[in-house]
Amino acid sequence: MSESSIEKNVPVVKQSFARYKAHNIIEEGDLVVVYLSKENMVIIRVQDGEYFNCKFGTYKHADMIGLEYGTKLGSSTGRGFLYLLYPTPELWTLVLPHRTQILYIADISFVMNFLNLRPGMSMIESGTGSGSFSHSIARTLAPTGHLYTFEYHQERANAATKEFAQHELSDLITVECRDVCKDGFGLENMVDAVFLDLPAPWEAVASAKKAFKQDKIGKICTFSPCIEQISRTVTSLSENGFVDIQMYECLIRFNEIRVIPMWTIDEAMEKQRAIEKKRKRAVPREVSSKIKSARTEVSVDDSNTSSTVATPTSTAGLDSEESTSATMSLSTTEADVVPEPRERIDPQNITVTKLPMEQRGHTSYLMFATLPPALQRPSLAEQKANQGGN
Amino acid sequence: MESVQHDQPVSGNPDTINAGEHVFIKMPSDNVKCIVLKPNSNVSLGKFGTFKANDIIGRAWGNTYEIYDKDNKTRIYHLDEINEVEETKNNNREIIDDSSAQKLTLEDIRALKNEGLKGELTGEEIVNKLKESHSAFDKKTAYSQAKYLQKKGKKFHKIFTPIKPTTYFVNEYFYTKNPVKIRDIRMDTLSQLLSYSNVHSGCKILVVDDTQGMIVSALAERMGGQGTILGLYDGDNPHYDVVKYMNFNQEILDSIKVLSWLRIHRPADEKTPDELQDVTQLSGKDLEGYHRRVKAYKIVEESRQILFESNFDALIVASQYKPESILEKLLQYVRGSRPVIVYHPHKEALLETSTWMRRCPDLLAPQLTESWLRKSQVLPGRTHPEMSTWGSGGSLLSATKIINKPVQAALTKRERLAQEKRNAEAKKLKRTHGETEKAETVVITELITTTTTTTTTVSTQDSVGPPSAVPVVLEGDKETEDERLVKRVKQE
Repeated sequence: MSESSIEKNVPVVKQSFARYKAHNIIEEGDLVVVYLSKENMVIIRVQDGEYFNCKFGTYKHADMIGLEYGTKLGSSTGRGFLYLLYPTPELWTLVLPHRTQILYIADISFVMNFLNLRPGMSMIESGTGSGSFSHSIARTLAPTGHLYTFEYHQERANAATKEFAQHELSDLITVECRDVCKDGFGLENMVDAVFLDLPAPWEAVASAKKAFKQDKIGKICTFSPCIEQISRTVTSLSENGFVDIQMYECLIRFNEIRVIPMWTIDEAMEKQRAIEKKRKRAVPREVSSKIKSARTEVSVDDSNTSSTVATPTSTAGLDSEESTSATMSLSTTEADVVPEPRERIDPQNITVTKLPMEQRGHTSYLMFATLPPALQRPSLAEQKANQGGN
Repeated sequence: MESVQHDQPVSGNPDTINAGEHVFIKMPSDNVKCIVLKPNSNVSLGKFGTFKANDIIGRAWGNTYEIYDKDNKTRIYHLDEINEVEETKNNNREIIDDSSAQKLTLEDIRALKNEGLKGELTGEEIVNKLKESHSAFDKKTAYSQAKYLQKKGKKFHKIFTPIKPTTYFVNEYFYTKNPVKIRDIRMDTLSQLLSYSNVHSGCKILVVDDTQGMIVSALAERMGGQGTILGLYDGDNPHYDVVKYMNFNQEILDSIKVLSWLRIHRPADEKTPDELQDVTQLSGKDLEGYHRRVKAYKIVEESRQILFESNFDALIVASQYKPESILEKLLQYVRGSRPVIVYHPHKEALLETSTWMRRCPDLLAPQLTESWLRKSQVLPGRTHPEMSTWGSGGSLLSATKIINKPVQAALTKRERLAQEKRNAEAKKLKRTHGETEKAETVVITELITTTTTTTTTVSTQDSVGPPSAVPVVLEGDKETEDERLVKRVKQE
């Protein structure tokens, strides 16, 4: 875990979003996710001679080189610090430049699990969008699988191509600028799974059907925010022979955790009593000091009831305070046997959770369907029958 | 003893149904039955009939089959297209909800059912008979008619679908059938755990799994046999029962290593098999026993070595024991910038762990999440969320392991000036009294109290922990976060 564990003679493998580096050490040219706070993360490429500036200070890139990922780094001015994190698809989702609406972890995770993505599979994604999901898919299909991603917007396709190259994902992802609803995918008998995040997914279903490997089961997922889109897609999926159509919504809830004090009412009363008692004791001393400062009797009364510096308070406030002190003095006489009341009581703390006041209520409907194999392999019984015939 | 137990490792084609593997059979009632497919056997599905295993062995996954004649022959069944339901003027005003509408008696229906089982009638024919003798069928709305046919079909159709065990499906199967077995972890929660863990081919994962191997299975599937999973277990054996349902090939099974909590550190009295017995003196059964012990010993040694390499890419804890007691012991084996995830069926059980994590100098940004999942019925014109949905699916607490080095930068300007002043005074003190050590301790303790605003941020590490860990938390960013929050609240 320290520098001593750097394996010697490791072949040079470039840093990639699809795998970790064998030695976990930041090198010149690496991408690093700079963590300032949960809401404030930035991705940078470490280059000797460069500086990273933020409101927490200035940081030399040179200081980062040679550190283990995850290290806390102090600024050169000594006024702030940050954490240097390894770039992963999950962090990328939080720091990427948005070119479109993107998928977040709840949907990404559920779709990947339902489509049973694993190393070695090939898959279609359309559209590429900002490439948020593409990173997660590529990581999961690596090292032998492949993602074909389609984007009809030329600039977005170019930007994605460039990003995948920078993130060393080019050998896992092929980007194509193409309107799949009009021109189809142009792939046949190639993939195990298809993911459609399109305004009109029903227009791409027939072409997707061709792209599936024909001799095995295929799984498709469409991602649509509106229920009307779902209706049209269901019809199209069913017409094209997809079965077992299921629809889900998945949301993730982030809990805020707080430690809150919980005084009992007895503790609160005890505290109150202590304050009362102190106040009574304080009267003679205050009176004497006030007399010394040659104040009138009225202002002395004021300072009696209010513990803060004497400013004229409303009579209503005065009345209520006097009345409470009257009832409280009654209870103190009753509780004479009780030991000296404590003014400072450490309450029992309890840990609680709270959901944010505002949270995501809907992302999209996730619709899944299965394509049965078109080409049939012979069953054991058929194989035996054939052998018998020969 | 130390390895995961399997009935029979399989290495067949993953795209086809193979003999000797686990197969899940989905029946018209939506119930699922799990079987090990033995060649030349008959598989009984109760009222849905019996089929011959050989008829589906060798086939690709993904087909639905129909049992269609007296000899229990099967053929591929093509599920009907989902059709739009035509609106009619019918409503339920005229329908009286009692059993008199169905003209067939219970005995008649039983007879039909028996004929169906013998293969003399198809499911479709039975359903048609029921429909014809239902006096109020025509009065039903189109939706209601469709629902009626579907409901009866679920009872009398002799169709079934073999389903391949995947993480999702096996998870759903156990979550529905016996959630306690897998400690209530639901498919969406598990999927998020997989994302947060950044599991991929070639990584190395440390896991404490009390979900009977549900999590280990999911990780193993995502790694595809490349990389290592080390599972720590208590008791005599690791209980990774779920693993055996997954039809993993040998390569994937070999990537799962296990180690008993009791054997992490070599006990003082532990002897190697060679120390216990002189191999040259052994023969027959004794020699066999010796070889068995050597093998077991090597497995333990290998697992220990894997652990002590201390380069894990993730730590996942889904244990019945207090999570922080496990994290305290295992955090030291995880690399920097790697996820640490705790799963628990009860959110409340993670609250203490969460506060512990916030104080832990080696963990960054703990986050407690729970997932919500809803399924809908999708039929054209009849799409709506299902009437009952899942309740709890468990909670996840995830954080990032960091390499905590104390940095001066954690101080504010005022604190820094105060510290410089104190250092100067300490120097003076040192010169005058010559009490070097004492003066330094004073400065350090003062430093701690000034840099931490809450009492909770000072954590003295208990016995175990990474050697690099310094028992001072400088939670600069966490406080600024809180401060920002307070400011925001005030503004509002």
